[in-house]
Amino acid sequence: MENWQYRPSPGIGTPVAESLRSFPREPGMLAYAIRSLAALLLRVWLRTYHRLGIEGRENLPKRGSYVLVCNHTSHLDALCLQCAVPLSRIHSCFPAAAADYFFSSLPRSAVSAIVINALPFDRQANGGESLALCSEVLEKAGNILILFPEGTRTTTGSMGRFRSGIGRLAAGNDVDVLPCHLDGGIEAWPKGRLFPRPRRLRLRIGQTRNYGHLDRSPSSVRAVCADLEVRVAELGEG
Amino acid sequence: MSIELAINSPVFLRYLLIVGGLLVGAGIVLVSLRLAGRNVESPLRTYRGWLVMIPIVLGTLFLGREATILGVTLLAAVGFKEFARATGLYADWWMTGTVYLAIVALGVVTLAPDPRLASPGWYGFFMASPVFVISSILLIPVVRNRARGELQKVALAILGFIYFGWMFMHLGFLANTGNAYGYLLFLVFAVEVNDVAAYTFGRIFGKRKLRDHISPNKTLAGSVGAIAVSMALPWLLWFSFPHFSPALLVLTGLIVGVGGQLGDLVISFIKRDIGIKDMGTTIQGHGGILDRVDSMIFVAPIFFHMQRWFSGLG
Repeated sequence: MENWQYRPSPGIGTPVAESLRSFPREPGMLAYAIRSLAALLLRVWLRTYHRLGIEGRENLPKRGSYVLVCNHTSHLDALCLQCAVPLSRIHSCFPAAAADYFFSSLPRSAVSAIVINALPFDRQANGGESLALCSEVLEKAGNILILFPEGTRTTTGSMGRFRSGIGRLAAGNDVDVLPCHLDGGIEAWPKGRLFPRPRRLRLRIGQTRNYGHLDRSPSSVRAVCADLEVRVAELGEG
Repeated sequence: MSIELAINSPVFLRYLLIVGGLLVGAGIVLVSLRLAGRNVESPLRTYRGWLVMIPIVLGTLFLGREATILGVTLLAAVGFKEFARATGLYADWWMTGTVYLAIVALGVVTLAPDPRLASPGWYGFFMASPVFVISSILLIPVVRNRARGELQKVALAILGFIYFGWMFMHLGFLANTGNAYGYLLFLVFAVEVNDVAAYTFGRIFGKRKLRDHISPNKTLAGSVGAIAVSMALPWLLWFSFPHFSPALLVLTGLIVGVGGQLGDLVISFIKRDIGIKDMGTTIQGHGGILDRVDSMIFVAPIFFHMQRWFSGLG
């Protein structure tokens, strides 16, 4: 008789706090159920309390993986972008979130990993490693990555410079990038406030961009960043 | 079982005092050993695990029958999850989901009154549930039109439900008996003492391995010592079940002493075959939930049917 093949889950020996921080994470039935329910409730809340309006949803590719790139004004941004993604794809939609903030404690890690499905992004030491993780995510068809190239929430309301990460991710790679702009986030939930205020939000999703024809030189990376910065800003003006 | 009954229950109060006394005593010993410069890092971690677990267990029992059954159902579900993750069954959501649902259903059946007898807990349905669950699990490959590798999954799912779900849930069904506090508190206490005794006797006198191909840490001396301790416990704690005859006390001691160690060895050979050390990391210093409740899975159903045979459900 042949021996049975056991395939223990890779995370079987890691403590809970650590396994929440690890990525890619093991799909769990309970986590999926909580996330689906939370996504549904978040949609209701954003649509009513914040009267969220979404324009350009038809630009979202029906299949394949893509990156959503958006200005960053508040914690609502990632939630609004997730709200634009079809509910059926919520488990393969990963907002890149600062590991030093969103995965700093056990309760925060639990919310970030289970509800938001965040990809822990190390913005200090291992930026390159985190970017490699992002491209790994995009290699799997059907995954969605949410990036905030400014790297942090704005405190003034004006958009900051885009960091090079998105350029390094997109230049020379066949990856669809969609510029997005969220309006009203800074009024609704500015940095430092405990709870959001009932202000109107408006999300605009632009046309798909693809930088696969460029090379991977530093100048192309800068060009991609500059191009996306302009596109996102344009969406905000219209 | 209810909060009011727990407050007025002399059995509950006595166990509270015994366990509290043991915890304080063990704490004093550990702290003084540490002050004396001994390395007690590992036992201290285990002790901290107990400090978290004991209030949760006693608090759940204090809250009454519903909380107890809910707690045992939760433990069964987490125990099965650990087993499923360890074997790789977890990747199959149909199998895992079916067993989860079945365990929840067992919890409901344990809570629900018998429609014909109006006694708490639907005993007949509980005991017949494997028929329905095994059929459901066997139907999954048929419904999905798959054959390759399905026998292994079906076998693992059935074992997972019967052993970690159904057999363990007998502990929850004890909450429906008239002497719930006595039975539950005694079982939990005696099974854990049995574990600790096996470990202690093994450390002090242990030479010959009990089952060297299954677990290198278990020794013959530890096993004999643990059985001796477990045989004495029912006499010392006779107040838990004053209606038991001396013959039943001997039987109870044997069930806990022998059954507890068999349960331990069963989980050990499962882990050994899979090739892992612990079932998980849920409890600090103890490993996974299954590493803690392994003995109870064997003891609870045998004790349940023993007491039912001799003293009835009432």
